[in-house]
Amino acid sequence: MPINYFLILSAFLFCAGAYGVLARRNSVLVLMSVELMLNAVNINLIAFSAQAQDVAGQVFALFVITIAAAEVGIGLAIVLLIYRNLRSPDLDRVEQLKG
Amino acid sequence: MDWFDDWALTLAVFTPLVGMAIILLIPRAEEAAIKVVALLTSLVTLAIGVGILVDFDFGNTAKMQFQVDKEWIPVINARYHLGIDGISLPLLILTMVIVPLCIIYSLDHFPEPHNPKAFLALILLLEVGMIGTFVALDLVLFFIFFEVVLLPMFFMIGVWGGPNREYASIKFFLFTLFGSALMLVSFLALYFLSKRSTFDISTLASFEGAGITRGTQVLLFAGLFLGFAIKVPMFPFHTWLPDAHTEAPTVGSVLLAAVLLKLGTYGFIRIALPILPEGAQVWAPWIGLLSVVGIIYGALCCLAQRDMKRLIAFSSVAHMGFVMLGIATLTDFGVNAAVFGMVAHGLITGMLFFLAGSIQHRYHTREMSRLGGLLVSAPKMGWILGFCAMASLGLPGLAGFWGEFPAVLSAFEPSRLANGILGNTDSTLWTFRTFMVVAAIGTVLAAGYLLWMYQRVGMGTPKPEFEDAHIHDVHRPEWVAWTPLLLGIVVFGLFPNLIFSITNDAASSITRAFSG
Amino acid sequence: MGTPYFDYHALAPVIVLAAVALLALVVDFVWKDGGRRAVPQIAGIGMLLALIPVFTLAADGETRVMFGGAFVVDNYALAFAGFFLIVGYVAVLLSYDYIDEGDYYRGEYYVLLLTSVLGMVVLASARDLITIFVAIETVTLPTFVLAGWRKHDIRSNEAAIKYFIIGVLSSAVMLYGMSLIFGLSNSTLLSEIGSVAGGDNPALFAVAIFLTLAGFAFKVSAVPFHFWAPDTYQGAPLPVTAFLSVASKAAGFVAMLSVVALGFFASPNSWQPVIWVLAAASIVVGNLAALRQTDVVRMLAYSSVAQGGFILVPLAVSGDNDAARAGFQGVLVYILIYAAMNMGAFACVIANARRTRSTEIQSFSGLGRSNPAMAVVFTVFLFSLAGIPPFAGWFAKFVMFRAVLDAGTTAAVVLGVLAAVFSVVAFFYYGTVIRRMWFHAAVDLGDTGSPRVPGALVAAMAITTTVVVVIGVYPQLFAKIGDLAFRAT
Repeated sequence: MPINYFLILSAFLFCAGAYGVLARRNSVLVLMSVELMLNAVNINLIAFSAQAQDVAGQVFALFVITIAAAEVGIGLAIVLLIYRNLRSPDLDRVEQLKG
Repeated sequence: MDWFDDWALTLAVFTPLVGMAIILLIPRAEEAAIKVVALLTSLVTLAIGVGILVDFDFGNTAKMQFQVDKEWIPVINARYHLGIDGISLPLLILTMVIVPLCIIYSLDHFPEPHNPKAFLALILLLEVGMIGTFVALDLVLFFIFFEVVLLPMFFMIGVWGGPNREYASIKFFLFTLFGSALMLVSFLALYFLSKRSTFDISTLASFEGAGITRGTQVLLFAGLFLGFAIKVPMFPFHTWLPDAHTEAPTVGSVLLAAVLLKLGTYGFIRIALPILPEGAQVWAPWIGLLSVVGIIYGALCCLAQRDMKRLIAFSSVAHMGFVMLGIATLTDFGVNAAVFGMVAHGLITGMLFFLAGSIQHRYHTREMSRLGGLLVSAPKMGWILGFCAMASLGLPGLAGFWGEFPAVLSAFEPSRLANGILGNTDSTLWTFRTFMVVAAIGTVLAAGYLLWMYQRVGMGTPKPEFEDAHIHDVHRPEWVAWTPLLLGIVVFGLFPNLIFSITNDAASSITRAFSG
Repeated sequence: MGTPYFDYHALAPVIVLAAVALLALVVDFVWKDGGRRAVPQIAGIGMLLALIPVFTLAADGETRVMFGGAFVVDNYALAFAGFFLIVGYVAVLLSYDYIDEGDYYRGEYYVLLLTSVLGMVVLASARDLITIFVAIETVTLPTFVLAGWRKHDIRSNEAAIKYFIIGVLSSAVMLYGMSLIFGLSNSTLLSEIGSVAGGDNPALFAVAIFLTLAGFAFKVSAVPFHFWAPDTYQGAPLPVTAFLSVASKAAGFVAMLSVVALGFFASPNSWQPVIWVLAAASIVVGNLAALRQTDVVRMLAYSSVAQGGFILVPLAVSGDNDAARAGFQGVLVYILIYAAMNMGAFACVIANARRTRSTEIQSFSGLGRSNPAMAVVFTVFLFSLAGIPPFAGWFAKFVMFRAVLDAGTTAAVVLGVLAAVFSVVAFFYYGTVIRRMWFHAAVDLGDTGSPRVPGALVAAMAITTTVVVVIGVYPQLFAKIGDLAFRAT
C-alpha cells in the first residue's frame, strides 16, 4: 500500500483530534481528542518505520504510547479535582481567572 | 608617582561607590555619621581630583593621560579603558567640586521625606556615574556609566521631588532610556563596521570614520545624535527638562544642570564628532539649526514663565543651544567655546538653582508674582542673585561671557567641510552666519528675561504677604556651598585662559578631521 | 549491536538526580514525621550534589557521546545542566516556606520538582527526537501536577487544566511534526536530520519544522501560543509559577535551540521566518498586554512572554552561517540572565504575598519605607528586567542587539528596532511597580500576614541578586560560558 494512504488517514485523525480539543467543552472528550491526535502521530511513525525498514519509528511510537498513558492519567486526576470542586466536568465553568 | 598615574581615575570613579556602600551599612538612625561619611567621601574624591590636576601634564593636553586599559569583557572585546585629556579634565573637576558643595548645602535641610541615608547614597552613586562617563574611553563602559546616572536621578526626582514628581521622573527616565537604546545600537553598529572590531573610543577616533560609508555614517550619527541630544537637551527633545527641574529637589536640579546636561554635549565631542566625521559634516547645519531654534525658543519660553525654577530650566535650554552651536561649527574654536560654555553654565546655572532652592525654602513659593524685594528682605542673597543673573546673561568679565560670545563668533567661520543647510558646502558660510545673527539676537533676549526675572524677584518691595515674615539672609552652609562657585565665575571670567589653554590642543585634535 | 556503552561519569548528574528523587519519595513514605522536614533538605542537597559531576565534567572538557549519538555531554549540555540544577535549587528555596505553611503534601512536591529538573538535565544532552520528546515530557508532566497543587482551590485547578490541555495539545503538534521529520529523513538523530535537510520534499519538511517549532512555542509561551501563561501563572502556587516561568520555559528554549542549531540549521528558509514572527509577535503583544495588568503575577507573566520574544531575537537572525555563533550565544546568555532576574523577582513577589496576602501591584505601595531592603532588591530585579545598567539585564539586551547587527540583514534590523522600541515601552510597567514601592504611601489591605521574610527566601534573593549585580558589572563570566558552549558548533 502506498504510504500516502497512511499519511492521509493520520492527517484526518490529527485534524479531527485538534478540532475536538478546541471545540469540545467536556473535559473527558477533550482528553479523548488528544488521544486521537497522539494516535495519528503513531500511525505516521509506524508507517514511515515500515517503509524505511527502520525500527526507530516503532520505538518512538512505543514511547509515545507510554507517555500518552501518563498524560491521560494526570489529565483525569485534574478533571476529577475540578469535578469535586465544581460538580461538573464542563470546561466553560472553569473561568475564575480573567483571560 | 607611578602608581597614582595608574590608579587615579579608578580611584576617582569608585571612591564614591565605597562611600555609598559604607553609608548603606550605617543604621538609618545615625544621621550624623551618615552625613560625615558622605561629606568625607566626596572630599576624598575631590582630593583625588586635585592630585590629578597637580599630576596632569598641561603641556600635552591632546594626549590621553592617566590611562588604564585592562581586559573587561574579552568575549565582546570591551575593555576597561579610562583616560582624560584637556576636554574631560575641566568637566571632571567641575563634577568633583559640585558634589561636595551639594552635600554641604543639603546637610541641614533635606527635602521631604527627609531620609538622608538614601539621599546621600544616591548623590554618591550619581557621582560614580558622572565621573565614569567623563573618563570612560570604551563605548560599552561609557554606555554603562551614562545609564548609571539615570537611576539615582530618577529616584531623587521621584521621591524627594515636588507635587508632580511622579510624572516628571518617569518622563525624564523614558526620554533618556529611549535615546540610550538607539545610542547602544549605534555603538554596536560601529563595532561591526569599523576596520577592526573594537569599542575603543581612541582607536575608533583614530580611524576617522574610514571604512564606513557616508550613508551609514549619516544613519549612525543620527542614532548617536538622538541619544546625546535628548540628554543635552536640544530642541525639540527638551520637554523633559523643565518638568524634571521644576519637580526635582534643589540639589537634584543643581546636579542636573551643572553636570548631567554636559554628559550629552560631552558625548558629541568625545564620540560622535571624531568617530563619524562625515556624518557630522552632514548633520552639522541641522544641529546648528536646532541649536539656534533652541536658543530663541528657550528665551521666549522664559519670558512666559511664572515659576522661577522653570524659567531657569528654560534658560538652560537656551544656554545649551550656544554650546551645541559651538560644536556644530566643527571648528576647534567652536569646541573650545563649547567646553568653556559647559563649565560656565555648570557654575552659573548651578548657582541659580541653589538660589531658587533657597528662595523657595524661605518663601515656600517660586511664583515670581508673589516674590519681590529680595534685596530688601535678604540683601546678600539679593546681590548674589543679581550677580548670577548678570553672569548668566553673558556680562563680559564673568564666566558666562566666554561661553556665549566665542560660540556665537565661531559660527562666523565654520569648518569648510561642514555642509550648509542646502546639503552642500557652498551654502555653509551663509547658513552658519545666519545662525550667528539669530544666536546674537538670543543673547539680547537672554539679557531681557534674566533682568526681568531679577526685577521681579530681587527688586521692588516685599509683597504684603511676606512683609512681616522674617527672611533669613544667606546662612553659613550656603556661604560654604556657594563661595567656590561664585569665585569660579569671577576667576574664569577674568582669566578665561585657565580653561582655554587646557582645552585648546585637545579641541584641535578632536576637530582634526574637519580642518582640511 | 551488543551492550550499549555507558559512561557513568557523563551520566552521573542524571543518576544522582534520579536517585535523590527516589530517596526523597522513600524517606517521605517511611519516615512520616521527620520526613516532612527532611525531604526539602534532601531535594536541595540533591540538586547541589548533582552539580558536582557537572563541574568535574566541565573541568575534564571532553565531549562524551553515548547511545549512538542520542545523548551527548559537551560544553553546551553542561552549561545548561548546571543552569537547570541551580535554578532547581533556587526553586526549592522559594518553595520551602510556602509549601511548609500550606495544607499540602510536601514529600511529593519535591519529588515532582526533582523529576522535572531531571528531565531538563537530560534535555540539555538530548540529541535525537525521541530523547528530546521523552525529556520534554519528563519536564512537563510533573509541572501539570505542581500547577494544580492547591487542590481545594478552584483557581489552582483551573491553572492546571489550562496548562494541561495546552501542554498535551502542543506535545501532539510537536510529535506530529517530529513524525514527519522522521519520515523525510529516516532518522531521529538531529545530526542526520541536518545532513538530509528535507531531501526531495522541502515543502513537507518546512511544514514539519513549522509544526515542531509551534509545539515548542507553546512551551516557551511565545505569541500566538501564549494565552495559557497568564492564567496558569496566576492560578498556580507562586513558587511553581516561578519555576514554570524560568525553568520550564528555558527547557523549551533549549529544545528549540538544539533542534534548530543541530537539526534544521541547513534550511534557514523554513525555520527563520517562523521564529522571526514568534519573536516579533511576542515582543509586541507581551509588552503591550503587560502594560494594563494590575496583578503583579499577570504582569510578570506577560513580561515573561515579552522576554521570551527578546530571547528568540538572536535565534531568529542566526540563519546566516557567520551570524550563527553570536546568535546562539545570545540566546544562551539571555536565558541565563533572564532566569536569575525573574527568579529573584518572584522571590520578592512571594515574600510580599506573605506580607500582604495579595499579589495586586497596589500591595507593593510603600514597601520602600516598610521594608527598604526588600524594596531595593525588587527594584534591582525590575531594573534588570528592563535592561538598565549596571544590572545584568543590560548585557542580555546587549548580546541580543549584537546578534542582530552581526546578521545585518533587513529582517534582522527591523526586529532589532522593534526590540529597541519595546524595551523602552517595557519600562512603563516595570516602572509602575517601582513607583508603587518608592513614591507611594502604603495602602491598608486589611488582613495582613507576617512581615518577616523567611530565611530560605532571603537566601534565594541573595543568590539571584548576587548574580544580577556581578554579571551586570562583570558579564565576562556568562559571556565565557556562551563562548565555550558554542565553540564546537
